[in-house]
Amino acid sequence: MSYEPKIVGFLCNWCSYTGADLAGTSRIQYPANIRIIRVMCSARIDPTFVVDALAQGADGVLICGCHPGDCHYSEGNYKAMRRFPLLKKLLKSYGVEDERVRQTWVSASEGQRFADVVTDMTERVRALGPSRIHATLLTDRLER
Amino acid sequence: MQNSRIGVYICNCGSNIAHIVDAEAVKESAAALPDVVIARSYRYMCSNPGQEMIIQDIRELGLNRIVVSACSPRMHERTFRNACKTGGLNPYLCEMANIREQCSWVHADKLAATEKAIALTKGAVNRVRYQEPLDSLTAEMCASTLVLGGGIAGLTAALELALAGHPVYLVEKTDRLGGNLARVDLTAPYLDSARDLLTERITHLRDNSNISVMLSSHLKNLSGFVGNYCAIVETNNGHNPPEEKTIHVGNVIVATGYKEFDASRITHYGYGKLPNVITSFEFEQMLRTGRVQTKSGQLPQYVAIIHCVGSRSKEFHGYCSRVCCMTALKYAHEIKSALPDSYVSDVYIDMHAFGKGCEDFYKKSSEVKTLFLMYGKNERPVIRKADPSDDCEMLIEVDEKLSGERIEIPADLVILMVGMEARPDSAEVARLVNISADKDGWFIESHPKLDPVATTTDGIYIAGTCVAPKDIPDTVAQARAAAGRILAKIAKGKIEIDGVFAEINEDRCSGCRMCNDLCPYSAIEFDVVKKRSHVIPAACKACGACVAACPSSAIKGRHFTDQQIYAQIGGVLA
Amino acid sequence: MTEKKKLQIALYWGAACGGCDVAVLDTNEFILDVAALADIRLWPIAVDGKYQDVEAMADGELDLTLFNGAVRNSENEHIAKLLRRKSKTLVAFGSCAYMGGIPGLANLTTREEIFTTAYLNNPSIEPGNRTVPYHETQVDGMTLDIPSFYKRVYKLADVVDVDYFVPGCPPAPDQVKNVILAVVKGELPPRKSVVGASDRAVCDDCKRTKEEKKTKHFYRPFEIIQDPERCLMEQGILCMGAATRSGCGVRCPNSNQGCRGCYGPLPEVTDQGTKFLSALASTIDSKDPSEIEEIISQLPDFVGYAYRFGMPASKLQRSHRS
Repeated sequence: MSYEPKIVGFLCNWCSYTGADLAGTSRIQYPANIRIIRVMCSARIDPTFVVDALAQGADGVLICGCHPGDCHYSEGNYKAMRRFPLLKKLLKSYGVEDERVRQTWVSASEGQRFADVVTDMTERVRALGPSRIHATLLTDRLER
Repeated sequence: MQNSRIGVYICNCGSNIAHIVDAEAVKESAAALPDVVIARSYRYMCSNPGQEMIIQDIRELGLNRIVVSACSPRMHERTFRNACKTGGLNPYLCEMANIREQCSWVHADKLAATEKAIALTKGAVNRVRYQEPLDSLTAEMCASTLVLGGGIAGLTAALELALAGHPVYLVEKTDRLGGNLARVDLTAPYLDSARDLLTERITHLRDNSNISVMLSSHLKNLSGFVGNYCAIVETNNGHNPPEEKTIHVGNVIVATGYKEFDASRITHYGYGKLPNVITSFEFEQMLRTGRVQTKSGQLPQYVAIIHCVGSRSKEFHGYCSRVCCMTALKYAHEIKSALPDSYVSDVYIDMHAFGKGCEDFYKKSSEVKTLFLMYGKNERPVIRKADPSDDCEMLIEVDEKLSGERIEIPADLVILMVGMEARPDSAEVARLVNISADKDGWFIESHPKLDPVATTTDGIYIAGTCVAPKDIPDTVAQARAAAGRILAKIAKGKIEIDGVFAEINEDRCSGCRMCNDLCPYSAIEFDVVKKRSHVIPAACKACGACVAACPSSAIKGRHFTDQQIYAQIGGVLA
Repeated sequence: MTEKKKLQIALYWGAACGGCDVAVLDTNEFILDVAALADIRLWPIAVDGKYQDVEAMADGELDLTLFNGAVRNSENEHIAKLLRRKSKTLVAFGSCAYMGGIPGLANLTTREEIFTTAYLNNPSIEPGNRTVPYHETQVDGMTLDIPSFYKRVYKLADVVDVDYFVPGCPPAPDQVKNVILAVVKGELPPRKSVVGASDRAVCDDCKRTKEEKKTKHFYRPFEIIQDPERCLMEQGILCMGAATRSGCGVRCPNSNQGCRGCYGPLPEVTDQGTKFLSALASTIDSKDPSEIEEIISQLPDFVGYAYRFGMPASKLQRSHRS
């Protein structure tokens, strides 16, 4: 049975969520594996959300914000930008494959880009195989 | 969260959702979730009957949470929040799942799309359990206004507000009013006297007791939020020791104007070396004395005007400074009036004659026998001192585009049309009032088309050339627009502050101050006595930067709490 | 005249260093008071007592058990479960029991690698003596076993139901006193509470001045001469105080050392390391991606720092390397 990756996406309201909506109004198709969670700004994205999603069974996590310089709240995306590389470093220490977690910028007018990003990420995560984090933690618990 | 009674509504959106997503299946799945009292599937939830369904269910089934799986919340969040309000439920107890723009419209696989819609609905149901009723707050609106800048924009705005009967504080950095316009002789295209324009404004201003003019003054600090700002203005006139004054205002209009480009940065033009290469402002000064002459007091035979000095160039500023072309034509007129036998050359890239009366003005200028020479963008004419054998002071070499030839023209006087640039103190002003500037230093408006005088900081307005190069009509329009916006707010009397903002729990805040510098709206203040940080609700825009950064999770992001988001994550992954 | 029954207590260590037991002893004269009003039925470091004595007790016979150390092997788990049955109140005592502690960092590697390093590829092992321990062996036709080494470390609450948590590596002697007295007086807070620690971060009690948090560079403590009056984070020295419960007396920052996080996360925080990451990264004073990378590279072992005491209690709990 082939596995279908489950990807959680955190999108900021003003740029990336709007861009995703634009992909919708333009009927641009992309794989159905992503489930989007809306926040007002990428600055709201706590790295804990990412590890929580992974621990709860996400095979991939996508973080989208506005392009640097374009944030609706002035510099929120810079805060996200600063947290993310350190989070990647941490995830590497945990042995989580690099391509499972991705941060990118999508503007309100980039419907096609959003679809491309999701398509690309879905394929990469599919190629990695299912994340065994959730199953491992469950087994650890059950063994005791 | 206790005793949630949730109603879930799956919109079919005609066939927009239903032709891909099996709405019945989503409904069934939702109905089986804990705390879900009713789940319905309906053609158009946003329609009146659709909304009535929600309202009735709230009343009859005692629902206290609503989930609508439909289009994007950016379309109809307000609609369903209003329906909740009508039904007697707080509007923030409603959540939408986007199963149209982000599901049925983008996925062709019906099974996968339905599965996703089910997951998104579960996410919304989980989230809504933790949502809380939120109310807007109201605050007083102070009717006084602070206007920064005593140029034409500031003067216009101040008068508009004062004539409506409200106090205005006009703060001007230099020791006189009038700004850059006071350095101008006549204005294009109708050749009105700038002095007359300004005198009219300034006289009315002086006669109006509502306006307090503070010259040689600048804003030192601004704190508070829309309707309730506290400004500290420092006056330093050189004679007396610096004085500080604290004033309370409801709004601020930033009309700090521009500065002209420093022509000495372009070495080809020899400004600062060749005595008869002058800037447009220096020429204005000359016009006001009534005599067009060279440095040595001679009447020039050949005058050249060069456009786009510092503008439209890769090296300096990429933008067009808007006013220079018409001003240059104005000079051609004035020179020909003063010296009918002189030869005027107008060296330009493109002629930007976009405004009212400007094309006619352009036509008239060519009728007074001005020689027009076109040069290429990113190329530059070169000015050099002529030989004693030439019958002119300088020679200008131009790669003329219309003829395709390299032309050399004589010039006794060269006027450089220096462009506009952001003032060197604009970054500091932006920081003080909490607005942003773009890469060229111009202040950023709330929306370039739909909201040109407001900024993303409520209560701070921008007008005139500090926003971008513009002419007098546009400057005055913006100044009046900003004043008009403020008058509308003052008329309302109170301001409504959205109930969604960040809240710091004083029982958890340790005073670490990690959050203090993160707020783009300076909405976090630190109480040095209590040693706790505090968010000013009216100033907070709910971006969540502080919420995510707080190492104690002491800051609650209303309507976007950790609990709500974790629950939603769990729901979409179930 | 019937004597009022003495409090029956036990103190036990799982995967531990002995520091928590020393912390109890560090209460000095107080321990004599404890000995006066309690029967210490089990305390391997200090008194004589055997497992069979515990097995012989009735369920709930022990009023209070302070269990320190993490759960690394089957003996730790077995005794944890035994003591749970026999105790009315079971306290996860110290960071190891509460969050997995320093032993928890072993979750970043594997049992195989640990054994290989400890028993095989090690310069201090005599040649010919490279044997790895096994759980079972046969001797004279009989099976002997030693506790089996689990493939990861657990915190106490992963294997038994815990009543209270006392954080600290080790818990401060004052807090030890407070906890024991609370039990004696019957004045315990609601079950599952963290006791002996504040609900606010260390910054609340730290006397250093706190102003602008903007970092351009991270320094190891020996790399700069520190200002003893100023917040360590503001000087570019890592201090996890802002993300750690107070109650320890700010011992580390007061000794010019950054807080290491041993009192664990604040009440509403579900992962101490990622929360600290969020705060730390937010103070980085740069908008340039390569400059940010450079600043982050000044944190050579971020996972080891952020999860020094709490790896098993984090969201991801252990390495997920395939």
